[in-house]
Amino acid sequence: MDLLAQVLVNGMLLGGLYAVMALGLALVWGVLNIVNLAHGAFIMLGGYLSWYLYTYAGIDPFLGLPLTAVVMFAVGYGVQRGLLNLIVRAPMFNTLLVTFGIEVVLTYLAQLAFSADFRTINPSYVGDSIALGTVVLPVSRLLAFGIAILLTVSMWLFLLRTRLGRAIRATAQNLVAARLYGVEPRHLYAMTFGIGIALAGAAGGLYGTVSQINPYIGAALTAKSFAISIIGGLDNPLGVIVGGLFLGILESLTALYIGSTFSDVASFGVLVLVLIVRPTGLLGKAA
Amino acid sequence: MLLLAAIAVLAAVPWFGSDVLIQFGINALLLAVLAQGWNVIGGYAGYASFGNSVFYGLGSYGVAIAMAQWQLPFGGGLLFGAALAAVFAVLIGIPVLRLRGHYFAIATLALAQVMAAIVSNVKLAGRNVGLVLPPLNNDPLFYELSLLLLVLATLTVYWLTRSRFGFGLIAIRENEEGAAVMGVNTTLYKTVAFAISGVFSALAGGIHAYWVTFIDPESAFDIGLNVKMIIMAVFGGPGTVFGPVVGALSLSALSELLSSEITSLAGLFFGVVVVVAVVVMPRGLADVLRRFRCMGWRYFAENIRSHQL
Repeated sequence: MDLLAQVLVNGMLLGGLYAVMALGLALVWGVLNIVNLAHGAFIMLGGYLSWYLYTYAGIDPFLGLPLTAVVMFAVGYGVQRGLLNLIVRAPMFNTLLVTFGIEVVLTYLAQLAFSADFRTINPSYVGDSIALGTVVLPVSRLLAFGIAILLTVSMWLFLLRTRLGRAIRATAQNLVAARLYGVEPRHLYAMTFGIGIALAGAAGGLYGTVSQINPYIGAALTAKSFAISIIGGLDNPLGVIVGGLFLGILESLTALYIGSTFSDVASFGVLVLVLIVRPTGLLGKAA
Repeated sequence: MLLLAAIAVLAAVPWFGSDVLIQFGINALLLAVLAQGWNVIGGYAGYASFGNSVFYGLGSYGVAIAMAQWQLPFGGGLLFGAALAAVFAVLIGIPVLRLRGHYFAIATLALAQVMAAIVSNVKLAGRNVGLVLPPLNNDPLFYELSLLLLVLATLTVYWLTRSRFGFGLIAIRENEEGAAVMGVNTTLYKTVAFAISGVFSALAGGIHAYWVTFIDPESAFDIGLNVKMIIMAVFGGPGTVFGPVVGALSLSALSELLSSEITSLAGLFFGVVVVVAVVVMPRGLADVLRRFRCMGWRYFAENIRSHQL
């Protein structure tokens, strides 16, 4: 029973991180209709950035997240403005292929710049934990979870309440009408992609504190982000929390009861099921 | 005529080419078969399948299980692998082909991961260690087999451009509801297209497995391979008869050249080539060849203009 409680808590903490990983992907997908296959590679870059800030400038990985996010935002804005805006109206294959190409380029650049070694961000408090009865809560995972939830909820409020957020939602619904109301799509698309990449960067920083970073983690993280976006649905950032928690807990439970090699089978099996039964996600509106 | 000459030249390669050239040829031809197979479901029916590497893996395992576990001849293994792929295409195709666009792409993307994990837990398939096949050191034979398979795949695609079935697939790609209204049995057509695509991928996988004499779940169900076949088909021109073949052969040659000249940067250049190619020639080489003559350099500018925001 204690073991089960601990596994559930671990899964939940992992799920919060998953949610913020998927958040940027879901935003870009929902608004720009681009499935960004390079998303995981941007998470990886954010992780390295955070690692460098911590190792060479001594900036705490959690306090340094805004800095990582700002840099990654600039990168994302540039990529959308300079490259992806050129092909957003092309067929789906083409955007998939271009973002795949970006993924390949980023992975190789990372390999050249950072070598293939594993990196972990280890602040002094990384081993600390809080005991809640018999369940142990590691501090860094708890912090990562809290920040992930905070980011997701702020994203939701941002889309709902601010002028820019409304413009983004309007564009997602109807580009032509948004344009008539004075939205400058090139800038807005780049802003949206920039925000998506900033979130990916922040997720990378958090990921670096709970797991290991190397140049090749991108593809697997992209696949996870996909699964979460679909399970949660693209309509609403809160869906991503549901998707992330669901996947995190599911993976931990499968690892406990069936074996860790099956945790990917379980998550992708659920993904296929959700796609077939409820293609708009668990929280999504009916198709 | 030109075509027969090209095939004859390709078929003669084992008599004058070096061993390295023959090995490169086997790889390039098998990739061309995969690209051509993907062309059936992705190029003609318009369903961006990321699951073709599952068929490839099933074909590899079909041959490996038949030969290593049951001591059957190679031909029997190929048949077994192809049958596995066809059955799997129908079973999986019926639910998954109901999905459209990105959703289909991602559901099929998930299949390869699931299959790799399942196979690595099946005893008959050697778990995650893999299987070793009896070696056959006869590269020219594998080369000719690959070429034969490519010719068969291309003939099949050529048949698509002239048959009722092929027109049905194109109608599905352009407007699925419209096709259904016009009396196309869309479920049947899509499933058969998926199965054809799967059988060719499985045959390519089977030949590859016997050639390299060793398979494991990682390499047999590699998503990267699926991305490769899509890139090659799109680079050459999806939904055309020769586009995928030209795309596969030229990209294989390019990547071979790059990796022999500048080993460490080959992957990087490959990524850049993919990005640039998709931006300036989104409909592939086939379209460039057709329209560049009358439009000149304006062709590339026009492509960018028509797809940018």
